[in-house]
Amino acid sequence: MNIRDKRRSARAWGRRQLYSFFSSLGTLLGHRLGTLMTVLVLGIAMLLPLGLYVTLDNLRGLDLQQEDWGTVTVFLRPGVAAEQAGSLAERIRRERGAEVVAVSPQQGMADFAEASGFGEALNLFDEIPLPWVLLVTPRLAEDLDIAAAVGDLGDWLGEQEGVDLVQVDFKWLQRLAGLLALGDAFVTVLTVLFSLAVVVVVANTIRLDVANRAHEIEVLLMVGASNGFVRQPFLYLGFWYGLLGALLALLLLALCLLYLSRPLGRLLDAYGSSVDIGGPGAVTVLLVLLCGGALGLLGAGVAVQRYLRQFRLPESGGAS
Amino acid sequence: MITFEHVSKRYPGGTAALQDVSFHLDPGEMVFLTGHSGAGKSTLLRLVLMLERASRGQVIIDGRNLGKTPSRLAPQVRRRVGMIFQDHKLLSDKSVFDNVALPLLIAGLRYPEIRKRVRAALDKVGLLSKEKSWPLTLSGGEQQRVGIARAIVGMPPVLLADEPTGNLDPELSRDLFRLFRQLNGQGVTVMVASHDLALIRSMGQRVLVLSQGALVDDISGCDVGGSRS
Repeated sequence: MNIRDKRRSARAWGRRQLYSFFSSLGTLLGHRLGTLMTVLVLGIAMLLPLGLYVTLDNLRGLDLQQEDWGTVTVFLRPGVAAEQAGSLAERIRRERGAEVVAVSPQQGMADFAEASGFGEALNLFDEIPLPWVLLVTPRLAEDLDIAAAVGDLGDWLGEQEGVDLVQVDFKWLQRLAGLLALGDAFVTVLTVLFSLAVVVVVANTIRLDVANRAHEIEVLLMVGASNGFVRQPFLYLGFWYGLLGALLALLLLALCLLYLSRPLGRLLDAYGSSVDIGGPGAVTVLLVLLCGGALGLLGAGVAVQRYLRQFRLPESGGAS
Repeated sequence: MITFEHVSKRYPGGTAALQDVSFHLDPGEMVFLTGHSGAGKSTLLRLVLMLERASRGQVIIDGRNLGKTPSRLAPQVRRRVGMIFQDHKLLSDKSVFDNVALPLLIAGLRYPEIRKRVRAALDKVGLLSKEKSWPLTLSGGEQQRVGIARAIVGMPPVLLADEPTGNLDPELSRDLFRLFRQLNGQGVTVMVASHDLALIRSMGQRVLVLSQGALVDDISGCDVGGSRS
């Protein structure tokens, strides 16, 4: 094949693609109701994992903005003097970069009396039974694993001289981290399942479409169409289904976020926290559209391939 | 142009559709294929079109041994063979023009070239004025001629017709056969399967007679007798 022939066949290929492209658009617009229903199913199927993913993404942003999530309470041994407590606090600030609030026994007593209402009863003690207490709040980079960092700080504090008990109150943090990890796993599972659903839905739709056009396919094959030529419009069709489904999912997501933003904002206000609900980023949007199209393509490919196999001739070798 | 050498075709299940059929068609020849229904006419045509493979023997079309041609090249074989069907096999959701244009779209021709060739083909079958019509609004004879236009639009060297007059009245059938002879006169090898013996006889062409899958007679044009109308 010389260069001219190659160019000519490339142009012929391009024109065939163009024909398939418009033919698939024609099918899409020709069956508006069917298209709409398929796209709706696909959109909802894609919305579920996408929605959960965005929710988790927002939750993760939320907990990092909380100030007092990981305060470690350090009880010093009874009888530790004020200077010793002060120097330990200083050392924690210096070496661990944490904020430290030192609470003297007197201060602690007063706070407790006020908070508990046992003021009178507490006066019965001759001496204050409380030790010095240090409230240590680590400062963390945003991407740090909170639970691990706080746990590490707790361990370190436990080894310091004069420390009686370290109370790391990050159970709820651990729980949140655990929930987020579970959520991530859930998103993965949902994504896999619903991707499969998208492929199956598209494959089934295309299968019906192929069956409806069996006559056309037969005629095309008889007048010399290759399997590729027959397959191409259906592949485009599958791609459109997937792409439109993804678009719809993103649109539905935007509507959901809009609808949720006011009650959620009010709720967060009540907690003294104001957080903007973030939608998916540009990269996520692009990825969702691409994946939608690719899944549609895959479903269409599966459906058409199965159908074309019926038309396959036995390979040569039967002739003697 | 078309050569069958000891061709047999046995379908799964044991039915023998063709048994040891041999004949040869020169380029530019015209032949009628006749026999009762079930005699193997359709099977023979399907072998030429590579819709089936021979169980035994060689089918050689245009110098290409179909038994040694891989399936993926079947489209290339079919593009060299124009096929006309009894039930026309037109696409009812496409206009006459688009139906005829199909083989050229498959070949990936440029649109101006497609338009030129489709109009030439429609002109040849006398349907140029109907290019924008829908197939279902046409009469049976007109639909059949659209089918013929589609078969010849790619200028294949071989034209096959499977019972093309099946649903037509005698006058239209005669017109159709004249059209085939006219195309044959332009150098196309034509093979027409038909059971309309009276009409075939009147054409004075070579006739292959199939019976129960076997080629029982090969009558050359001059022996057929009858008047050439």
